[in-house]
Amino acid sequence: MKPVVVEHAIASADSKAPLVAAGLTRRYGQREVLSNVTLRLEPGQVLGLLGRNGAGKTTLIQCLLGLCAPDEGESWLWGTPSLALTDGIKQRLGYVAQTPEAFGWMTISEMLDFVAPFYPQWDHDYVRRVRERGGISVGKPLAKLSPGERQQAAIIRALAPRPDLLVLDEPAAALDPVARRALLRDIAEHAASWGCTVLYSTHIVSDLDRIASHVAILHHGKLLLHEELDALKERHLRLHVPAAIAAGLEPSLSGELSRHRLDDGALRLLLLCAPEAGLPAALDVPEVRRETLTLDDLFVEVAG
Amino acid sequence: MDGIDFHIQPSAPEPIYRQIVEQVRRLVAGGQLAPGDVLPSVREVAATHAINPMTVSKAYSLLETEGVLERLRGKGMAVAARPAAAAEDARWALIAPALQAVARQARELELAPGEVLARLMRTMEETSE
Repeated sequence: MKPVVVEHAIASADSKAPLVAAGLTRRYGQREVLSNVTLRLEPGQVLGLLGRNGAGKTTLIQCLLGLCAPDEGESWLWGTPSLALTDGIKQRLGYVAQTPEAFGWMTISEMLDFVAPFYPQWDHDYVRRVRERGGISVGKPLAKLSPGERQQAAIIRALAPRPDLLVLDEPAAALDPVARRALLRDIAEHAASWGCTVLYSTHIVSDLDRIASHVAILHHGKLLLHEELDALKERHLRLHVPAAIAAGLEPSLSGELSRHRLDDGALRLLLLCAPEAGLPAALDVPEVRRETLTLDDLFVEVAG
Repeated sequence: MDGIDFHIQPSAPEPIYRQIVEQVRRLVAGGQLAPGDVLPSVREVAATHAINPMTVSKAYSLLETEGVLERLRGKGMAVAARPAAAAEDARWALIAPALQAVARQARELELAPGEVLARLMRTMEETSE
């Protein structure tokens, strides 16, 4: 697998961009868990941060939100350094940690009634709707609920204040399929209703297909790919090249991401090509079978 | 037409906005959607399928640019009035990729063109019953 060239927008403090990171690097002892990550989110984007377990997703999110300090690099929320966030910035931010632990002694109703007055834009209507939807025990303290219920409670608490930036660390991990679908719908609606920007980390590809506008793949602490989801699907092709044609092929093609030689001399190629540019002439023949890729396929090809 | 009438496969290689564009084109070309018919709102389609509303907007805008849909003030998107000849061409354009796929596979399997044609006719008769 060749490294994928990630095209970076210029990364620096910018009061319009909800989130910018420049060269974030974080080490635990000798091990580099984040390597020079540069990232920029524009208002209204829904970025799915995809990575295998241990890829560095949580560390990246914690650095972005100022919950841990990077060894190198810097990041900003609306131009304010992550490590010096003001109360005004925090008011605009919704965050759901992987294992929410706050307010464990309260029931969900007590917790929501407690935090609501802190937020002028609190969405009482949304809270009423999700309560009616059920799925969370109302009588028990949060600490006694199942991990899925606790996660849902934390998501409601993060969405209800109508944040401008919503950061979710593996929010669907503990949810059943019904709750997961409901969560995706809520996020999509929030993003649409008031242009909320979303960063959503997951290792489950199917969570991203529905709502992400952009996808980034984090692998061993490096950002391998960051692109619009539609463009990603349209630009990647897998080709099956029969032996006769494979024999006469150049050793490296432009846009080639990977090449597997099969036992019979045939090739399996993964190519990145713009739809308008078309295929190299040698491959643009009926004998070469082309296949478009799902996000799942791509993730496996890039991070497998 | 309601949001649920769209058939959307989020994990398919084809981007969601394209799936919507293709379906609307097909329904319009085939006459299931007539000029003036109003499409479900962006919000409804997005909520029904739990997809990003911007994806639905993108599909509708593209169809508007192509002249398949037109924006009605205060009523959302409706099917545009189109000349009949264009509709005929559009229908052939829509089925062309499927025909090419059949042709390619038939050649790979070394099936006789006449036989393929006969079977296609039989299949069309069977599915129309």
